[in-house]
Parts: sequence; structure tokens; C-alpha cells
Amino acid sequence: MIPQLAFASLTKRPLRTALTALGIAVAVGSTVVFLSLGEGMRRAFNEGMAGLGPDIQVSYGAFDATSLSSVPQLPQHYATSLQEVAPEYGISAVTPVLVYIRGSLAAARAFVFYGVPIDVDLNRMYTDFAIVEGRELGPRGSEPSAEGGVPVVGEAVVGEQTAERSSINVGDVLRFNPSAAFEVVGTAIADGGLLDNAIIVPLEPLQAALGAEDRVSFLTLELEDPSAASATAERLSQTYPELGFQTRSDLSSVFERAVRISDVIRLGISAIALIVGGIAVANTMLMSVFERTREFGVVRAVGARPRFLMGLVLLEALLLSLVGALVGIGLGYLGVIAVNAAAYDVIGLDVAALTPRLVGFAVAVAGGMGLLSGLLPAARAARVPIAVAVARE
Amino acid sequence: MLHAAGLRKTYKTPAGDVNALLSFEHSFASGQVTAVLGPSGSGKSTLLNLLAAFDTPTEGEVWFDDVAIHSLPEKERAGLRLRSFGFVFQSFNLVSVFTALQNVALPLGLAGVNRAERDERARQTLDRVGLLHRADHLPHKLSGGERQRVALARALANDPSVVFADEPTGSLDTANGALVLSALEEVAAEGRTVVLVTHDAALAGRAYVRLRLRDGVLEEVEREPSTELEQEPAISVPDPRRARVEAVPLASR
Repeated sequence: MIPQLAFASLTKRPLRTALTALGIAVAVGSTVVFLSLGEGMRRAFNEGMAGLGPDIQVSYGAFDATSLSSVPQLPQHYATSLQEVAPEYGISAVTPVLVYIRGSLAAARAFVFYGVPIDVDLNRMYTDFAIVEGRELGPRGSEPSAEGGVPVVGEAVVGEQTAERSSINVGDVLRFNPSAAFEVVGTAIADGGLLDNAIIVPLEPLQAALGAEDRVSFLTLELEDPSAASATAERLSQTYPELGFQTRSDLSSVFERAVRISDVIRLGISAIALIVGGIAVANTMLMSVFERTREFGVVRAVGARPRFLMGLVLLEALLLSLVGALVGIGLGYLGVIAVNAAAYDVIGLDVAALTPRLVGFAVAVAGGMGLLSGLLPAARAARVPIAVAVARE
Repeated sequence: MLHAAGLRKTYKTPAGDVNALLSFEHSFASGQVTAVLGPSGSGKSTLLNLLAAFDTPTEGEVWFDDVAIHSLPEKERAGLRLRSFGFVFQSFNLVSVFTALQNVALPLGLAGVNRAERDERARQTLDRVGLLHRADHLPHKLSGGERQRVALARALANDPSVVFADEPTGSLDTANGALVLSALEEVAAEGRTVVLVTHDAALAGRAYVRLRLRDGVLEEVEREPSTELEQEPAISVPDPRRARVEAVPLASR
């Protein structure tokens, strides 16, 4: 009886029901869009982590913003040193990497040069690495380029998205600086976003071009037993206290903490919209209870207990909120598409994601908000004095 | 048997206490229509609220058979209203979002009767008041007389022992008023107690017992000669006027 009466009551006043549900939909939709940013960042990070081959990353000191500065910090002899002790620590591969970011005001136009040993297996560094066009890196000597006499010091494999965005084709020559250029021999893809802005070049020519022959940005270590990464990093940091050893979980936890902080901030902003939505539900239900005082009195007169009316009003509030939540999730989805479309043009990444857990969270929040907003009207409905209510005109 | 003893209801107002009903005492017999008469403010509705378990008395007792209504908690009073009482109000008081059938089925639903059975029983009751063909109409699509007959059907849906009618003809024209009154007489003839609250002396004239209230005090009890309590039959013998009403089934009117 309660669902039947609740449904009939809500559909009797379709405009009011629709407007209230719309208010909730806007609140839920904005919450979904705000929180989808955190979900998008998590997804991008996790995909990037999944695409990142090394079990441990070694930096000079703690890994921070200076670790990827234009001047590499880490002496390359640590690579040799770690290779020597590799059996002792269960290290199966040590790869020096030099990262050089060629910045731009527009992030999408920035390039990230990754200098890696020419014989490195890129499949070890990037999950599902695959050449789309051309071939992988190969050895070559210095030779003059066709344009401006800048010597071509090595080959380059360019991430497919970078190639598309910047119209780079196999056979093009990329001028790195006045004394070095790289010839594009292939384009590639990999899981995650790590190759999105990447240009992979041989390590030594890049070091030479930067004037940092004996330095790299970091070393990547692969372990025979990846699950021992934390323990191995701990042991290594005792042997090499001047170095920083970061495992994937270290990076994940630092990132997760940062995203959670931003989640709280975004949720706080969303809470304003949710509170407004909740007030709309409470207002609608209070108005409805007031208008239906006589009806409630009659229902009680014919034998309904107070909890029947309480359940009725709470169910109506819940239904309103859930309908609003479903519409809101739809609006949020459109918002996520719009945000991603705008973000992709700027940074080349999808920054927002509508995940199942976000959908679940939105439904749960809307449902909780509905119940909370319905409490006062429900209590009021349950307290309707029959004698007064049935006599009301 | 519905019985009230020493009933008093006092309302607290900013101007002081107001006694709406004082020392009311009466037994309402089964199989009879008992009319409660009196001008506005005489305490009629207050009495009905106390008898029907809508409200609790300030003092005194209300008994239904061996149940002390005055001391029941609300949960049990709701159960009593559901199982044993039926109500007809002046302004029909149908649930506006429910069809005639759903309104009649409401008490059955509250009593936990399953949907198929309650719909069947509600249809039978609607048929009894001649409105089966209007079963799927919402109240605003029905005439005043039809609405009151739906309200009567709802009052009878759970087969109550007592039917309370508060000015049931107050919003009806003469013809529809007569129909509803005849129906109440028929309900009483089935052995139920009918308590009719009205300020219409002509309407009350058709009742077997008339209670006159003034300023919250029971001034006078009038009984038809054949229905003195000491001679009261289990079901009243209908007078010629009632016999005429009963001769025509409600459904065909």
C-alpha cells in the first residue's frame, strides 16, 4: 500500500515532483562532475603506473620536483654500482633514464624526451609497448641533417598521440638544439598515458646534447620478485642512503593522499549543492505534508499507524531523490564528457572519469540526502492529530 | 456494545480551559442508528472523536465490548479503528490520488489483506453501494453522492461493528442525503452500531435514539418507543419507512 500511495502522490503533482527532482539532479550532477576529476586522475595515474615497467625508481635524494629538472642530478656510476650488487638484491635489470622536458605554455605542445640505452627492451619499460609505424631505435653515427646543417645524433621513436598532435611523421628530423637533432624512425603506443607526450631517444646522444654525459634523471630497477619491492627498497636505502628508492606503492600512496585531499575539497564544494538539493526535498515534502494533512488524518482514522505515514513520506522523499540522482548521474556523465573534451585539448589527457564507484556514491548520497530531508516532514506527518486533520477544510 | 461513562474533554487555550464535553454517559446499542444532535460547539464532534478512538478523554471511560478504549496506546487504538470501526465524514475525505476501488481497498490493505483478495472484496463492497461501474474513477470525477457512497463502502470494507458518521449528508443535496441515510439504516439493520452526528433535526428524526447535547452536556435522550434499551432486540425491527428503504437494493438506486 505504501509504494502505491507514494507513487500516486508523486505523480499527482508532476510539475512539483519534476522540479524538485531536477534540483536534486543538478546537485548530484555537479557532485559527479567534481568528484569525477579525482576518479579521472586516479585512473590516469593507475594506468600510467600499470604502464610503468620498473619495480623501483632510484633518484638522487628523495624524488621531488627537482628530480626532473633540466639538469640531471644522478651520477650514472650508480647504475654500474647497482648492477654489481644486483644478484644480492634480486635485481634483474638496471636502466638509466634521462628525462628532459621541452616545455610549452600549452601542455599539449610540450615534449618529454626520454633518453634510454639504445639496447633497452622498451617492453620492459612500458606495458604493451608496440610500434605503430616504422621501427624501434637503432644505432647510427652523427650525420648532417638536410635542414640547417644540424647534425643528426640519433634516432627517435615518438608516442603516437604526440606524433598526431604535432604532425610528426616517420622520416622527419626533430631539431633538439643547435647542435643536435634526432630522426624519427617510428611511432609507438603503450598502455597508460606515459607515451602520450613522449619522444624516446638514445641515452648517450641526449646526454651529450645536454652536456651531462655522466648524469641521468633516475634509474629504474626491475626485480626478480616484484612483490619484494618495498623490502628491497628499504635494504637498498640503507646501503645507499644518499639515494631515494621509490616503489610503485610509494608513488601510489603519495598520489592517493594528494587526490584524497582534493576529493575532500571538491566534496566540500559539492556539499553546498547537495545541501541545497536536500533543502528542496525537505521543503517539497513539508509542503506536501501540510497540503495532505486531512488525507493523512483520514488514513490514520481508517486504521493506519503513525509509522505508516512516516514510511510513506520517507519513501516519497527517497523516490524523489533517487529519480533526481539518476537524472543527475546522466547530467554528470555529459559534464564529464565536456570536461574531458576541454582538458584533452589542453593537456592531452582525460582528467575526469565516471566510475561505477562514483555512480554508487552518488546514488548513496542522494538516497541518504532524501531520507535525511524526509525525516522532519515524516515525523510531522506521523504526528498529525486525527481529530484536527479530518475536520480540516 | 459501545459505552461511555463520565466522559470529560477539556481543551487548554490561551484564554483558559474550555470544557468541550462534560460528564457524558451513554450506551450505544447494536442494530440501531443513534443520532447525536446539537448546535455548533455543543460537543458533538468531540464526543465522536472520543468514541471513535481519535482522541483520548481528559476524564472518564470509553468501552467497546470489554476493551477500554480510553487507556489503549495509539498502536492498539489504530488496530481497533481498523478492525472494528468504520467512518463516514461530511466532506467525504477520500484519498484524492486513489481511485474509488483503491479508496475502498485502503483499510483492507492496512489490515494486510493481499492485493487480489482486497480488490475482490473492495469490488463487492462497491457493488453493494451501486458504484462498481465507477471503480476506476478518481474522487474528483465522482459526484458528491457517489463520493459519499464510496466513503460508506470504505467504512464497511473491513466489516466493522460500529460505523461513525459525522454530518454525512451535510455536503449533499436532499436526494443524495436521503440515499446515504437509508444506507446507514441498512447498515444498522445488519446488527451494527451506527453513531450519526448531525445538527439536522429532520435527519436525526429518523434515528431510533437521539442524544441532544448543549454546551458539552447531554441534555436529553429520546428513544423511539419500540427501542427502549430494556426492550432492545439484537437487531431492531424495522419500521415501515425502513422497510420501504430496504426493499430497494442500494445498488439499483
